[in-house]
Amino acid sequence: MGLKTSTLPFTERIADAAKDQFAHASIAKAQDTQYTKRENARAELGHWQDWRKLGQSIRQHVIQYLPDYLEEFSDNVEKRGGHVFFAQTTDEANDFILNVIKQQNGHHVVKSKSMVTAELDIDKKLQALPDVSILETDLAEFILQEDDWDEPSHIVFPAIHKNRDQVQTIFKKLGYDGDNDPEHMARFARKYLRQRFLEADIGITGCNFAIADSGLINLDTNEGNADLADSIPKTQIVVMGMERLVPSMKEAEIMDNLLARSAVGQKLTTYVTFEGQQSAGESDGPEDFYVVILDNNRSKALGTEFQEILQCIRCGACLNVCPVYRQIGGHGYGSLYPGPVGAVLSPILGGYEQFGELPFASSLCAACTETCPVLIPLHNLLIKHREVETDRLKMMHGFTDFQMRVVGKGTSSPFMFKMALRFKHFGLSPWTHQRPVTATNFFEYNGAMITNGPGMVGGWTDVRDLPSPPKHRDDFRVWFKHHKQQGGETK
Amino acid sequence: MTIQNRDKFLDHLAERLGQPRHQLADHPYQQLNDLPQQTLSDRSPAELLTLARKNSEALPVTFYEVAPVELPQLLTDYISSKGGGPVLLPTTERFTDYNLTDWQASIAATETVNYWQPDADRATNLKAAEIANISISFADFMLAESGTITVSTNAGQGRALHFLPTHYLSIVPRSRVVARSTQAVAWYEQERAAGRLDSSAIHFITGPSNSGDIEMQLVTGVHGPLDVTYVVVDD
Ligand code: SF4
Repeated sequence: MGLKTSTLPFTERIADAAKDQFAHASIAKAQDTQYTKRENARAELGHWQDWRKLGQSIRQHVIQYLPDYLEEFSDNVEKRGGHVFFAQTTDEANDFILNVIKQQNGHHVVKSKSMVTAELDIDKKLQALPDVSILETDLAEFILQEDDWDEPSHIVFPAIHKNRDQVQTIFKKLGYDGDNDPEHMARFARKYLRQRFLEADIGITGCNFAIADSGLINLDTNEGNADLADSIPKTQIVVMGMERLVPSMKEAEIMDNLLARSAVGQKLTTYVTFEGQQSAGESDGPEDFYVVILDNNRSKALGTEFQEILQCIRCGACLNVCPVYRQIGGHGYGSLYPGPVGAVLSPILGGYEQFGELPFASSLCAACTETCPVLIPLHNLLIKHREVETDRLKMMHGFTDFQMRVVGKGTSSPFMFKMALRFKHFGLSPWTHQRPVTATNFFEYNGAMITNGPGMVGGWTDVRDLPSPPKHRDDFRVWFKHHKQQGGETK
Repeated sequence: MTIQNRDKFLDHLAERLGQPRHQLADHPYQQLNDLPQQTLSDRSPAELLTLARKNSEALPVTFYEVAPVELPQLLTDYISSKGGGPVLLPTTERFTDYNLTDWQASIAATETVNYWQPDADRATNLKAAEIANISISFADFMLAESGTITVSTNAGQGRALHFLPTHYLSIVPRSRVVARSTQAVAWYEQERAAGRLDSSAIHFITGPSNSGDIEMQLVTGVHGPLDVTYVVVDD
């Protein structure tokens, strides 16, 4: 799979996404549920804006001094007896990992959820090895693997597009004969996966944060599979994006708090683990500990107007508030990284030729920027991408000049866009009609839907009504609070 | 060679950033505000315990507060309520600290009891964890804000002791109930810096293993223990 998850053109992808009514409904439900949980968790903590500034300051500092932090981290991994491989490209990373597995005579690989390993497409490479088995152990990733390696559609909830009946059908192939109750199916997965864990000799994990001053890594999970993957196998291979560093455990702990509240509305994830190469006298944990640090074009953001995207902690909050993600789902983006973060990051990692449409797959409503726990100005970065594409690269992407003027430049200036909001349906009113407002369609902008818009909008509205911008004074929180007070339905 | 491709990789990053390497010593990270330290700092120990109970029970975790003298009976009752052994216990002096040595002998007379053994190999200890119906650990801290216990791995209390058994109980002294993760991390950092702690794994555990991966419906016990019990012991 790798970074690019579809070869279809953007318009076909969103047409496909529109056909999947379950996925659409479940994303809407997830967004609404997560909204309440996330906002409650943040409100309970208090001083949320100052926490965000604190998180931003840590991440910005790390990115600014990234070479030094990477040097310190790798020195400390080495001091503990581990190994570090710096990989410029996915090919280099894959070659190294396959070589380690060969050297260690590994046969049974268990993996815990990791976006970077999906970026590497390492599963496919491992499958090609004749005497090596590979198993994704995160419940969602396991479901996707057993469904012929279906693509993830969310960075925190990868199987959000699958319903319980589909999961039941997938598990039946593995011998499950129970009903479609998620609890029963989870128990089946537990039993099935437990056996495979016990025979595993290689564990591959991601890394939420690498701790520079100790050479330990920090993992935040809820299921416990990452902890089994770093306890049972003799060898652990950690795969991380080069930017995922923190100075010490002290800053990791701050980021863990921001991440849990933003990702799932928890105070801390169920398992927050700081671990590394086995210490003397211990009997489980990795005797052989390898860290693969991947660039894969992340460095292209350094020193540019896009540097701030490297602050991202992959909490998924921006997906969970995005009206476009709500409409087209993860698969509509055609990138491993969907939603606002993906629309900014994918063109950097994969180039404008592959992902040039994504910065335009945004209404620039700024809900993403407003929710980001590390203050990444996501919608401004989308505008900057548009400027690069239209002004510097003169890219057309099949849009006509008129379309680009209306869709691209028409929304490429914050001033213009804000004006559009202030003048309500600036330039779009001829295409709109009104519907009653519900939580489901709030993100579709107060019920005003564009049914036959221009340009990029046109391609989209062929399959789904495009939200018309909200009135300037409204936002979702105000609406939600007001609506709840009135005892209204929220989904 | 244990570090590969580093200099070329880091030089490239420095070039992109437009500044030379090795600047950090003159520009260490300065914490922007003291929110982590201030949050819940106004709570008394009694208030923190109340908060810890409330947040633990919401997870859900079964939560007990007991006097030291009540601890042996509570553990025996707990084991029988979960259907008995095999029970996995750590090898540690803390049994003596909690006056549990007699209990160790008595429980071994009625249940299958295995220990995570400092001298045993990986396979032996993992087997003991795999077959365990119940494991009991000694926690370093309880975090009131989140209903969390923290444990550190050592030769007598391995990583898998916390994850493979079906039911999990952790014991923590009342004096170690702290406001939040900030205090626990400060302690671990201090112990590591002083060379008193060389643990390769520190786990913050907040209730039972769970997942919302199927239709966002929260289910417990996907990989780790199906249920979790905390016991706070007066000290
Ligand atoms: S960009 Fe911000 S909100 Fe989006 S995933 Fe990254 S940290 Fe979370």
